[in-house]
Amino acid sequence: MQKLKFVLNGKCVEVEVEGCARLIDVIRENLGLTGTKEGCGIGECGACTVIIDGDAVDSCLYPALRAQGKNVTTIEGLAKDGRLSALQQAVLDHHALQCGFCTPGFIMSATALLNKNPKPSREEIKNAIAGNLCRCTGYEQMIEAVLDASGQTEIDNDSA
Amino acid sequence: MVDEKDYLVANNLNEAKVLMHEHCGNIHVLAGGTDLMVALREGKRSGRDTTYLLDISNIQELKAIERKKVTISDEDCNTNEDYIRIGAMVTFDEAAHSGLLLKTAGALCEAAKSVGAQQIRNVATIGGNVCNAAVAADSLSALTILDAKVVLEDLRGERVLSIGEFITGPGKTAINEDELLTEIRFKPLEDYYSAFVKLGRRKALAISRMNVAAALAFEDEKITEARISPGCVFATPRRVQSAEKILIGESPSEELFMEAGEEVSKEMVRITGRRWSTDYKYPALSAVTFKALAIAYNQAKSDT
Amino acid sequence: MALYGQKQFHIVNHSVPREDGFDKVTGRATYAADIKYPNMIYAAMLRLVGVASAKVTKIDTSKALKLAGVLAVFTADSFPKMKSWARYFYITDTVRYVGDVIAIIAAETYAIAEEAKKLIHVTYEELPAVFDIREAMKEGAHPVHEEYPDNIFTDSIYTLRKGDTEKGFEQADLIIERTYETQYAEHAYIEPEAVVASEDSSNGEMTIHASAQNPFFTRRYVADILQIPLNRVHIIQETLGGSFGGKEEGVGLLAARAAFVCHVLHRPVKMVYTREESILESSKRHPFLLTYRAGVKKDGRIVAWEATQIGNSGAYNNQTQFLNWRACAHCAGAYDIPNIKSKTFGVFTNNVHSGAFRGYSSPQLLFAQEQFIEEIAEELGMEPLKLRLINCLRDGSTVATGAKVSEVLLPDIIEYTAKQTDYTKKYEQNKTQSGRIRKGIGMAISHRGCGYGAESPDAAGAFLIVNEDASVLLHSGIAENGQGLKTVYCQIAAEALGVPYENIRFFGTDTHRIPDCGMTVASRGTVMGSQAVKKAGEKLNLILREHACTLGFFDSGKGGAPNDRIAQDLVLREGHIFDPSYHEYQVPLADVTNIALWKGLNMAAYEWHVPDPCIQEHDTQQGRAFPTYSYTCVVAELEVDTGTGEVTLKNVHSSHDVGTAINPALIKGQIYGGIVMGWGYASMEEVVLKNGIVGSRNLDEYLIPTAMDMPNMKVSIFECDDNSGTYGAKSVGEPAIECVAAAIANALYNATGRRIRCNPAGLENVLIGRKLW
Repeated sequence: MQKLKFVLNGKCVEVEVEGCARLIDVIRENLGLTGTKEGCGIGECGACTVIIDGDAVDSCLYPALRAQGKNVTTIEGLAKDGRLSALQQAVLDHHALQCGFCTPGFIMSATALLNKNPKPSREEIKNAIAGNLCRCTGYEQMIEAVLDASGQTEIDNDSA
Repeated sequence: MVDEKDYLVANNLNEAKVLMHEHCGNIHVLAGGTDLMVALREGKRSGRDTTYLLDISNIQELKAIERKKVTISDEDCNTNEDYIRIGAMVTFDEAAHSGLLLKTAGALCEAAKSVGAQQIRNVATIGGNVCNAAVAADSLSALTILDAKVVLEDLRGERVLSIGEFITGPGKTAINEDELLTEIRFKPLEDYYSAFVKLGRRKALAISRMNVAAALAFEDEKITEARISPGCVFATPRRVQSAEKILIGESPSEELFMEAGEEVSKEMVRITGRRWSTDYKYPALSAVTFKALAIAYNQAKSDT
Repeated sequence: MALYGQKQFHIVNHSVPREDGFDKVTGRATYAADIKYPNMIYAAMLRLVGVASAKVTKIDTSKALKLAGVLAVFTADSFPKMKSWARYFYITDTVRYVGDVIAIIAAETYAIAEEAKKLIHVTYEELPAVFDIREAMKEGAHPVHEEYPDNIFTDSIYTLRKGDTEKGFEQADLIIERTYETQYAEHAYIEPEAVVASEDSSNGEMTIHASAQNPFFTRRYVADILQIPLNRVHIIQETLGGSFGGKEEGVGLLAARAAFVCHVLHRPVKMVYTREESILESSKRHPFLLTYRAGVKKDGRIVAWEATQIGNSGAYNNQTQFLNWRACAHCAGAYDIPNIKSKTFGVFTNNVHSGAFRGYSSPQLLFAQEQFIEEIAEELGMEPLKLRLINCLRDGSTVATGAKVSEVLLPDIIEYTAKQTDYTKKYEQNKTQSGRIRKGIGMAISHRGCGYGAESPDAAGAFLIVNEDASVLLHSGIAENGQGLKTVYCQIAAEALGVPYENIRFFGTDTHRIPDCGMTVASRGTVMGSQAVKKAGEKLNLILREHACTLGFFDSGKGGAPNDRIAQDLVLREGHIFDPSYHEYQVPLADVTNIALWKGLNMAAYEWHVPDPCIQEHDTQQGRAFPTYSYTCVVAELEVDTGTGEVTLKNVHSSHDVGTAINPALIKGQIYGGIVMGWGYASMEEVVLKNGIVGSRNLDEYLIPTAMDMPNMKVSIFECDDNSGTYGAKSVGEPAIECVAAAIANALYNATGRRIRCNPAGLENVLIGRKLW
């Protein structure tokens, strides 16, 4: 067991972990934040995406002890005092979710994108969330939500 | 207990070398971790047996992309050469967006962009990719057309191997148990136009079905230099000189690029023999090669 | 009625936000794997690696049992029964496919349980096996089950006879026959299956938190393994991370295993599939071998149609018969053909078993039928669009089961979609292109029977409770699968009950709170399942108006009215009760409920709805198979790199008659999702099986489309006046996917001139006409 200390959603946390522990297990099991999901365990689906020092990473592939001293944000860290982030609100407004299992990971990837690139293009959004597999939505409303959260609106010319 | 590991962190290169030496054979280097963590997960079933993991992500020396003069000691003389040096812990995301690499190794940037997804590119490293030596590793063909070399270091010193020498087979390398791959270096391909084309089963998060890196240099509308390296085709990365020869000295044209593409496929059959997949790979490899050459040439055209 | 936007409703027919949206965007929604109990243990499953058919002769667990933290190892001998109430096995000593479980290990941690698996030594004898439909039907083939010596699953045989096909073929100017084949596909919901079992030692009640598509179905498995009455089994459906038909049998088995371990060891038990296990043991989309033969007149009229539709059931089965019944009813596509003969049946093999998967059998059938229609058109030298319009269902047509249909928007939808996409012009232009990159445009159309139809009674119940603050609890046995069912049900309840949408809460499906309402399948949730919600809402609306009168809110003088009013004079809408003649006097519902509670008045309503029966004649399958049909037209545009076989899907236009769009934003979500899932099915998705061994083990090998793969999508929602479904709604979840692969296959032909009769169109299949795995 080794000591791990890092900043999680703005608060300093300290846990004892095994040498090869994965960050996802520390977040979910040791620290009880279950918003971060595991869908494949091999970094393919992105459901476990968290933001570490500004970068979106798959927490299932991230050695927990590498987070030593780092700043980790999970889905639970986005809403402030019960107020949703602009992106969370846009996801709600655009029905950009269905079963919701990929939603936290997708929101984290898109949040990391918006922090680095406040006005991303459609292609840039697609590229940023390509590592977040979604089986329900077909991604369209997710992209619309990210565009909306970045203050860009697309004209909806669908017949609905 | 299950899967007990000691997690060691090296804060500089020397520390890392000491730890590698101390735990030689019982320590595994953790670069980006995107492959190792998968292997460890599998290991829950198959057993993976080193006691120590060595995290080298805090070593600043391994994170730079820079241009520098390197003194090459040949048998009897020392020469200074201009090299681009990529630290082993440079991530694919950093490589993809490096201004220096965009200028000097465009194909490598393209290859880096094509790796996995953003979350993977944010942590996976070029050094890790090379050390894993997967046949489908996206960086290998791009590094091969750069004639890149890897620098291996241990407490005794360093040695420099070409990619071809370093990778000895699928998943196999010439690295010693206590050695670290610290950098990848190559001479800048400034006068070249290079391209990397990946053929996958989907447009992101795809493992290469095959890929081709190509670089061309021109003078007076003629091709003066050509380098072609297909990925996922041979057991170890290599260039296809017979195809390069077809191009050199000729004026670029679709027919010429098709001919070179065909030659790459022929070379594949010569080396690996006809297989169950050849019916597909033969025409597809020609087409991917053609595409890579055409992209490189189009860059040249739009540049002039 | 035509495009969405002409109906008048207050709450339905609007894109209200999702009922569960806030919980899901903040990460606080609880999925089964998130549940933790004090003192909880874990159980892992052992399977034979790399063997699809074997008799286990010995399992040596001694070493595993010595590992610290291992609590027990269960094998077939130590289970009270191996075979479930259905055909699947909780545990077995005869392996019929690679997913069969032969031992279950309980341990203090998941890691220890997994480690213990490595210490178990299994001795087995390999048995003969069959893997392919053709092979399984050969004389002398190894029977997967003793009860079915020729491997034909006799319970799943359906034959249909409409008119006289012999005469039909005699009249035909042209007879054409083609065979098509489809692949195993995986649901690939992003949440792997998970259950947590805990037993209340004070009363013997077993509670299971489950990622179950159908909690009542899961309950049956748990009661079965423990041999206890259903009222001692409490299944709580946690937020479900996608299902698409996949979390039915597998989750039932998992729940039963966890319940048994929990019961024996007196500790709460968690079982979670790894992605690999999910792919190994969960059911798959049935592969089909489909042969169609058609007789056509020169003018394009199809006068005879013969279909042989054979499904690969895999090693076990409990849905092929239902799936085949539907396949039988849809054996001739969305066409009005006078003479039809078809035979549909399933075959057992030693592969992973097939089950329900969004669309049931339709994506498979349409992949063949809609290509076949274009092959007929080509033989006739006719534009495929024209052939479709000549033969497609319209008002007064009869479907394959002989029933007449009305309110059929199909021809309008086809013409609209063709026009919007400039289909005909592009189709013709693409035929003459040259160059490396070729464009293709393709169409497919469908009709889909809404709900269960004659498969089984489409009955369901709902229970509404109004609290004194006028907030409402909604209970239904139809479950949220992620599609937005809670939202739609809250809308329907709010519309019928007359309260704001925000007042209603549907917290989830729990088997202790509502009767078994059948499964949430067949796109029946909105169209039929919610009828009881509407009924209960309407009933309660009246009850509350009566209370308002009883409690004196509408006595003479109130609101300026000279006389006492009765409930029938009043309206309850958006949370207010009023007399439309004196509408300025509005009584907030909470004022009424607040008093009603203390006066002891009933403020709850329970309703059960059974639709008019659909009855078919068994031998010919003639009769009314479904209350109504939804209609679809999809046009796909793509580009093919003829050098590599790489296909880029550019645009998809998907048009649907949804009857009434209860929530247009949710409908668009269903359709977008269906397009992308259909694209995966058409191009990259296949569970590769070699001798029954699953080659696509995780999501790096079983590929589903990413955001980079999605096309530009256009959705057109049509509405009509058909009132069979709740507020006139029709199915959309399955129509959203069923035409997509067919339209893509047709577009590929348009681009390359090469027919892909064997799905999916991966790189090799597109370039050289065969798969290389």
